[in-house]
Amino acid sequence: MKGPIDSLRALARRLGRGLPPVGQTPHDVVFAENKWRLLRFRAPGVTPSFRTPILLVPSLINRWYILDLQPGRSLIEWLVARGHDVYCIDWGTPGAEDRFLTWDDVCDRYLGRAVRQVARRSPDGVAHVLGYCLGGTLATTYTAARPDHVASLVALAAPIDFARAGIMATWTRTPTFDVGAIVEAFGNVPWPLMQASFQMLKPTLTASKLVALLDRAWDDEFLDGFLATERWGNDNVSFPGACYRDYIDRLYRGNELCAGTMTMSGRPARLADIDCPTLVVSFGADHIVPDACATALLDHIASPDRDLLRLPGGHVGAVVSRRAADRLWPMLSQWWAARDTDEERGIAHDPPSGDR
Amino acid sequence: MAASNPMNPWHLWKQSFGAWEQATATYMEQVMSNPAVLGPAGAMLTAAMKTKAATDRAIATWWSAVGLPTRRDQERSLHKLNQLESRLLDLEEQLADARAAR
Repeated sequence: MKGPIDSLRALARRLGRGLPPVGQTPHDVVFAENKWRLLRFRAPGVTPSFRTPILLVPSLINRWYILDLQPGRSLIEWLVARGHDVYCIDWGTPGAEDRFLTWDDVCDRYLGRAVRQVARRSPDGVAHVLGYCLGGTLATTYTAARPDHVASLVALAAPIDFARAGIMATWTRTPTFDVGAIVEAFGNVPWPLMQASFQMLKPTLTASKLVALLDRAWDDEFLDGFLATERWGNDNVSFPGACYRDYIDRLYRGNELCAGTMTMSGRPARLADIDCPTLVVSFGADHIVPDACATALLDHIASPDRDLLRLPGGHVGAVVSRRAADRLWPMLSQWWAARDTDEERGIAHDPPSGDR
Repeated sequence: MAASNPMNPWHLWKQSFGAWEQATATYMEQVMSNPAVLGPAGAMLTAAMKTKAATDRAIATWWSAVGLPTRRDQERSLHKLNQLESRLLDLEEQLADARAAR
């Protein structure tokens, strides 16, 4: 067994090698608009064997490569290797002019276009949609308002019931917290400001990470994973200003998804209208999206085909750890495989109408 | 097997750190969700934001008074261009759908 001295030695050796590479699964950019891009992944020698493609929607304020962190720690790599046709949105970095982008712009215009672009490449004109964290909130809103091209919905640690969103809900509902003043001052809300509010959720997290590092950094595999995750954790993007204001006002304060008053570009986005197969995944030690906040989705939707997967672990670790490769990823793959065709989904789809 | 020995100093220190961390995290969560903390924190943040916005507005007013486009003007123009690009992409999609339907 090794100890902290060995860890310090390993860290010193590792310093010269720089940060580990991330997002290495081969991919093509199949569409681009403003700052966002649609990526399609491939594995050498593997042809997609499933009919329905999968669209991954990461959080708007984090980089997409958390879903493709490193070889062996990549949900995308794992899915592609098993014959899934995988697409992922890269939201890019908002420019100063994107302060005017609203929730509806991102959800309806951008996410909607991504869904249609993926659906267009599928024989049935539909796509499985997986939204992670805030991406799950976007995917849920979109599916509720425009279900046409969505074969199924997976809400992975996605906040839905904002009344049960913990300290973040309390903070954003504080009367002296003026979201308009922040947006007016900064335009796009700077990521360090948001990072600070996440730190507020668990102020001892940095100290815990340091202790874990001292304890295990002698293990090269652990150290690589740790550095890759930290690289991702410190590579965030700012929140488009108007979108942030909508997010706080309509979701954190108004809790419009659960109240049934949410709209997207003027169309009702009622959870009760979601009737496609739906899977909610929540994590026991998730301090960012508490279990009750995520699982509330299942209480509101109409779909008879709904599942809940509760797993141990935290908001990020449970998605990228080695343990995820044993439980979460195979379960997701099996869930999609069982709903690969219209017959399996139990839904007769009209041909895509082109309505937007 | 020194580190696995429960009497190992590092192991003991980790145990005490774990206990401290758990107690502190619970305490901090209570402090951070206390309206007596959040209220003044929100007020300070809002005041700082309003001061920054007022300063930016004053600079922009002076800048536009000499006939130069402000940062906000440029942001608005770029945003309009992005919206135009999106509309064009909408039209392309509608055309593709119409062609496919024929």
